Amino acid sequence: MNETEALAVAGSWVAAMLRSSTPLMMVTLGETLTQRVGIVNLGVEGQMLCGACVGFAVAAQTGSPVLGFAAGAAAGLLLSLIHAALCLGFDANQIGSGIAVFTLGLGLTSYFGRAAIGGQVTGLAPLAGANVAGVPFAGPILTQLTPIAPLAILIVLAAGFWLYRTRTGLNWRVVGESFQTARALGIRPLLVQAQGILIGGLLSGFAGAILSVDYTQTWANEMTKGRGFVAVGLVIVARWNPFYVLPVVLLFGLSEAATLRLQATGLTFSPYLISCLPYVVCLICVIVVSVREGRIGGMPAQLGSVFGSRN
Amino acid sequence: MTEPLVTLSSIRKQFGSVVANDDVSLVINTGEVLALLGENGAGKSTLMKILYGFYTADDGTISIQGKPVGFSSPREAMAAGIGMVFQQFSLVPALSVLENLLAALPDAPWLQPRGSARVRAALRWLTRLAPDIDPARAVRTLGVGERQLVELAKVLNLDARVVILDEPTSVLTPAESERLYGFIRTLASEGKAVVLITHKLADVGACADRIVVMRGGKVVDRAGASERTPGTLVEAMVGRGAMGSLSAPAPPATNLPLLQVRGLSATVQGRVVRDITFELAAGEILGVAGVSGNGQFTLAEALAGLIAVDQGDVVLNGFSIAGHVHDGAIADEVAYIPERPLDNAVVAELDLALNLALREARRFSFFPRREAIVGRARGLIAAHDVRPPQPALAASSLSGGNLQKLVIARELSGKVDLVIACYPTMGLDVLAAQAVYREMFRQAAEGACVVWISEELDDLLSYAHRIAVIHDGEIMGIVRREDADRQALGRWMAGRAMDAA
Amino acid sequence: MSPATSMRIVAVIGGGAAFVIAAAIFLAAIGRPPLATLSQMVLYAFGDSYSLSESLVKATPILFCALAVILPARLGLITVGGEGQLYLGALTGTAVVVSFPAAPMILLLPAMLAAGAVGGALWGGIAGVLRARCNVNETISTLLMNYVAVLLVSYVVYGAWKDPTSLGWPATIPFPKAATVPGVFGTRAHAGLIAGILAAVILHIAVTHTRWGIALRVLAGNRKVAAMVGFDFVRQTLLVMAIGGTLAGFAGICETSAIQGRLQGGISVGYGLTGFLVAWLSGQHFLRAIPIAILVGGLIAAGDALQLYSKIPSASATILQGLLFVAALAASGAAGRRSARHE
Repeated sequence: MNETEALAVAGSWVAAMLRSSTPLMMVTLGETLTQRVGIVNLGVEGQMLCGACVGFAVAAQTGSPVLGFAAGAAAGLLLSLIHAALCLGFDANQIGSGIAVFTLGLGLTSYFGRAAIGGQVTGLAPLAGANVAGVPFAGPILTQLTPIAPLAILIVLAAGFWLYRTRTGLNWRVVGESFQTARALGIRPLLVQAQGILIGGLLSGFAGAILSVDYTQTWANEMTKGRGFVAVGLVIVARWNPFYVLPVVLLFGLSEAATLRLQATGLTFSPYLISCLPYVVCLICVIVVSVREGRIGGMPAQLGSVFGSRN
Repeated sequence: MTEPLVTLSSIRKQFGSVVANDDVSLVINTGEVLALLGENGAGKSTLMKILYGFYTADDGTISIQGKPVGFSSPREAMAAGIGMVFQQFSLVPALSVLENLLAALPDAPWLQPRGSARVRAALRWLTRLAPDIDPARAVRTLGVGERQLVELAKVLNLDARVVILDEPTSVLTPAESERLYGFIRTLASEGKAVVLITHKLADVGACADRIVVMRGGKVVDRAGASERTPGTLVEAMVGRGAMGSLSAPAPPATNLPLLQVRGLSATVQGRVVRDITFELAAGEILGVAGVSGNGQFTLAEALAGLIAVDQGDVVLNGFSIAGHVHDGAIADEVAYIPERPLDNAVVAELDLALNLALREARRFSFFPRREAIVGRARGLIAAHDVRPPQPALAASSLSGGNLQKLVIARELSGKVDLVIACYPTMGLDVLAAQAVYREMFRQAAEGACVVWISEELDDLLSYAHRIAVIHDGEIMGIVRREDADRQALGRWMAGRAMDAA
Repeated sequence: MSPATSMRIVAVIGGGAAFVIAAAIFLAAIGRPPLATLSQMVLYAFGDSYSLSESLVKATPILFCALAVILPARLGLITVGGEGQLYLGALTGTAVVVSFPAAPMILLLPAMLAAGAVGGALWGGIAGVLRARCNVNETISTLLMNYVAVLLVSYVVYGAWKDPTSLGWPATIPFPKAATVPGVFGTRAHAGLIAGILAAVILHIAVTHTRWGIALRVLAGNRKVAAMVGFDFVRQTLLVMAIGGTLAGFAGICETSAIQGRLQGGISVGYGLTGFLVAWLSGQHFLRAIPIAILVGGLIAAGDALQLYSKIPSASATILQGLLFVAALAASGAAGRRSARHE
């Protein structure tokens, strides 16, 4: 393989990695922000499903992918409202509430999404037309990626900057570390936690819409396949730091892109076994991160009671 | 005479059946240090927390410069210029010093790049109080004394006119306490009103201008600092004759070592102890002094066999007990009385009967007899005056003092060879503390070794046979009580090894 | 009646009422008469002996999966792994059948059941080891492992064990009579139901009246104190996760053997998730899980009937479960709030 071919292959791998990672990036960022204020939301899987379903339906109806994204984000937001009401309003257990939201999201999308199964939608136009396809390395990237990918990266970077260098970001971090201290400092912790949950809902719904409208351009039942739960694991791996979310998710996207390539090459491995790879990789990452420290370093202190490491 | 800055009149506060403040009145003047003196539970903290807006008084009024005020939250009190530094600091350990200060600033900018002038302004008091603390460090890496200075800087950043300090010297070395006294006097001379809540006479002597003594929720004495002797103050604090004195335990009968600790090194949650070596004879009490956070907890857990040791050994009566967590035999020989019993010594959700039987739990029959457990519990509860005396009650409903009595009943009822007590009287009033000491000394008299870790240097100097000082995970030195010198001990606590005597 | 009990009763009634209202709103939203549909569902669930047996058929795996959640919960562990353990049990049990299809029943049936139990124990045990030794949160690990288990079953069903005659819908060979768990009461409900109820009773007695139960309570309450008196968190974590996995795995192989007749892609319609819900509704109480599992089994059976007769897709049952869960959480949360305030 000569240099041009190598660059082309590398470029297309990067493109596949970025396309794969983008939905996961948004949902992981969303859950990171939610956990930063001390709340665990396992319902992100359901929120992502709703975002995918509603986003697809709206995009198909209106022909506008952008409206689809907005609708998907709104759907995720609405579902996360339930989690917020249960945890903050009714003092319910966060794990239970998350699973309840997941169940609802699963049921609602299975029910109302039946008609849309297998449909097609036109996504956003790629960054560049086919005429630059020949450009080494950047060519495949520019022709296969839509504006969503750089937008997602920008959102993650902006969120990181906001969390660490603004007053509201600092307030959020204080709430996540100590509810009582936040209150003593004049912050309104319940309000902040509600905001954290809702932002998580918005981002996970958006992530789902990206999955259905931009990445696959279709809707299938239960199409997120546990990516939301993978995201909850990746939040730990990324140490609750938005800046680390980027490399962690990209690594993940790489393993997913590899999965697809492996299946395409017709290797003798069963596609089902290969599909296990993302979950196993995520689990291994969580193991590595959890083993090294008795108490997981960087975890917002308020999460200690939710994750149940009692001593 | 200028008008007082803050006036509290006839404050009354009740929690359930306990009257914490009963018709309390006092004034706070600018430029003056007021010592609010009293034993644990006298009501001093409650009174100041009412001023700070943490609680609302059931009755009575507060006025600032003649105008009545009523704070319903600390935020309002802070806005009015009242600042309070608590015993449990309200700093966020995971965040940096600068971030903690920024979070508390009421007029912090929204955008907070680290170099900007407005951000740097949050450090103005910190650089005065503690110029050697790097603001980018996480608070959890700071020692307790440093954290207190950050907390003080946080309060002063709010341009507080009244600064209330709650038991500030309880976590400081003698040298750090001196430094704090200096700051307090400086603050007063700059026109601030300082209220010092304390139970230590040393604090009063060092910097107070005026004293108010509280006992049992009431004010029992007020005077200028120079108008009272320590003796009269103590009497006012504890009431006449309540302090039945404990006799110091007799020295051990033999010198044969019962407990041998050799080169012990262990780690718990990052706190390390290194190369601990000492020997104790049967009936000997070793007091371990030191500022909290220097490895006391790790040492206690290592000696009790609760954690794995990295190196070295603990030999009791010829048997190695280091790291043998689940060995039932050790459970019979070692008694462990930790601080904060609700978190460390009992299972809060279980009832008293089960908690008392915990040490035997592994030897229960497969279908244990409930009546036997409850019957035994009744006996222990009665013998140690645990209240309320209901074996079916959950442990979480007991007060701290009664919980510690429960733990003592469980740990010290039988005969043990080793007693490890780690801050056993923290938060207890004088009488409860005396009850704890009595039990410990009784075990010593019957031949147990006692390792007694405490912050109350005075108590250690009064009752322990030998005193060790721990600093940064190492034993700086061990002396006999008769040879102990406060200054030398203070230097050890601060980390400077004693010069060759 | 103690205030705690009366508060609980209020919570149950309040939650039930909230659920009925929410269900009615949903039904109205999809254009069905709420009260009529709800009462129709009750009939579909328990109206006649056929309906009852169908509800019991659904209730059996649900009960097992609920027990698989409740036992670890007694140690303070929150696992959602019933689904994965169920699938793994089905897989390992089927392995025995596929390897020895001609074996006599007296050997084949127990071997198959044992293999299923072991498979589930393995899946639960892995999560237990990860929690006990590597401090990996068991909720996350079990959730991820669920997806892996489903994929593994698909792997064998589409691959090595695929029955050539099952063209359109890949599955293994049908189980021989020797490998079929017998039915009870002359219905489709199988002996697994009896085993499940027995398991619930045994676990209840074990946890309430034995030394082991005390060990669990102490470990769940304060791990440090538990270590001090000699209880071992690592061992007990492994034990409860493995036992829980055994139960779910057993349900998995029973379901495959008795109800489906062979291993195929969609064994479970979310029984693991439903088991989690039932465990929650029962307040992590073994005995209470029995009637609640039957009730929720009825809900799912009614959902199937609705799809068959009223043309309402059975995903409605999932939605109703979600609504039930939300209502229960809100009710118990509100009740907990009120009793805390009264203390």
